[in-house]
Amino acid sequence: MKRNIRFIATLLKMKLSRMMVYRLSFFGGSLVDGSMFLLWLLMFQAIYSQVDSIGGWNKGQTIIFLGTFSLLNAINMTFYFFGVIGIPNKIRNGELDHYLTKPVNPLLRITFENMNPGSIPLIFLSIGIISYGASLLDITIHAATILLYVFFIVIMAILYYDMEIIVRTIPFFVISATSIERLEIAGLDLCMRVPGVLFRGVLKVLFYFVLPYGIMATVPTQILTYSISGDMIFISILVVFVFSVFTLWFWKLGLKHYKSASS
Amino acid sequence: MIIQTTNLTKTYRLFEKEAGLQGSIKSLFHRKYTYKTALSDFNLSVSEGEFIGLIGPNGAGKTTLVKMLTGIIAPTSGDLSVLGYYPNKLENTFKKQYAVVMGQKSQLFFELSAGDTFLLFKELYGISNEEYKKNLDYFIHLFGVETLLNVQVRTLSLGERMKMELIVALLHNPKVLFLDEPTIGLDAIAQRQIRSFLKEVNETRGTTILLTSHYMEDIKSLCKRCIVVNRGMKIYDGSTEAMFDRYQTHKKITLSFTEETAIELPQNCVPVEQNPLKSIFMVPLDISQEIIYKLMKEYSLSDISIEEDEIGSVVERIYNEGQVKR
Repeated sequence: MKRNIRFIATLLKMKLSRMMVYRLSFFGGSLVDGSMFLLWLLMFQAIYSQVDSIGGWNKGQTIIFLGTFSLLNAINMTFYFFGVIGIPNKIRNGELDHYLTKPVNPLLRITFENMNPGSIPLIFLSIGIISYGASLLDITIHAATILLYVFFIVIMAILYYDMEIIVRTIPFFVISATSIERLEIAGLDLCMRVPGVLFRGVLKVLFYFVLPYGIMATVPTQILTYSISGDMIFISILVVFVFSVFTLWFWKLGLKHYKSASS
Repeated sequence: MIIQTTNLTKTYRLFEKEAGLQGSIKSLFHRKYTYKTALSDFNLSVSEGEFIGLIGPNGAGKTTLVKMLTGIIAPTSGDLSVLGYYPNKLENTFKKQYAVVMGQKSQLFFELSAGDTFLLFKELYGISNEEYKKNLDYFIHLFGVETLLNVQVRTLSLGERMKMELIVALLHNPKVLFLDEPTIGLDAIAQRQIRSFLKEVNETRGTTILLTSHYMEDIKSLCKRCIVVNRGMKIYDGSTEAMFDRYQTHKKITLSFTEETAIELPQNCVPVEQNPLKSIFMVPLDISQEIIYKLMKEYSLSDISIEEDEIGSVVERIYNEGQVKR
């Protein structure tokens, strides 16, 4: 564990060194994502100027939901997104060969080798949105609730990661998984804008248990706003657990099917 | 034995599609697969400290063998043990004991200096500060690359880059080193430097080395034992010297003339390319001197070059002999 943390720290140092070589704009990516969430915030402001609640959620809850998704997205962008998106190419062009021959978990190295400190401001922006949403609620949020919320942010970030890995492990078995990546984008796009509580029937099953993007920001929001049942807390932990186990199994299965590319 | 394989076989399933849109539509409904055996019933035993050459034409199965020995791909069947491990289990304790250098796949960070990659590998392999410093000093002096450590990798020449690839691979003192075409594309001087470096590592550190190469000189000057692979099968395993003595039977002569010349090739010579200003042909080794002398006397030459038989021709002769025996 200690060795892995030291290794991740080395990867971060190297990434920072690489960014400094090219003097990249640290904050370019987060500006785009930040403006997207601010636009949605404005859209919901306009909707709530006409109605009092959407699917039983008031303006404060919806803003916390938006901030929570923005926070998950910021964590994703800061820590693992830019590493994970390179997996299909590494499988196709045989670059994975070098990862497999080194004495460190290849998934760990790929995950953290392209961390992006440029997205850190988006984390603070998201916390700002969440705080604004909370200030609109007529409730007192206790420290224990905040801790539980933080715990759920961590496990939902893991679920987000699981979903990204599952989609990007498919190229071990098929030539191209572009259409599945498009499905991922569509699912995420929908669930970033529509709180999970609005889904009913098949859609609820789909976005809670099959493509669980629907619970990622909804459940932490419900925790922070005291609008969740004990059952739902248990179910969401179970969903994260099942998807994490499946992800690791699926990745290992993919490695067994790895054909490498001819040199 | 440090490496042991028994009846090692690797078969790939390949998707086949006819060209054009019609072929694509057909393949949507009816998938056609073919099976290609990249390596078949391959038996190999390697002792500690050996320097073995693995040669064969493109697609013979050399790289597939190296990939299975390093655990990158899993065999279809057969037994395999490297340093007592089954490579495709990908155990870290196993990976710490070997290194692989692929001539066409770099493990250096191009945007950073080689020194930065060395530091990452220090963490990767958990090398102590003392050992890291000792090994790094040893290798950078051996290669004479002291001034290149802090230079951005992308600005290094191909030869300099390969030296860095070898240093990074050897920092953790691997017991076995797999080299897949390490001299590919290098000029003669760089090739010579790499060879002397590898020889030193094998002799002084006792590192077992398995080298695949297309260059005859790599194999001749480094490997006492040589394995020839063709169409996924081992067709020769024995002394390199004996193999060249027996199968490197010709020299390739290129003559350039000062004026248009109609040359009459002596008996036993096999033409490769003929035009009025140039003549390329193969000549049997035992009469090569005599023939060269004769040609130089008879014709007005602007240039003459004498090359050794290509590795492909040697492999072909071994393969043909095997076919005849069967």
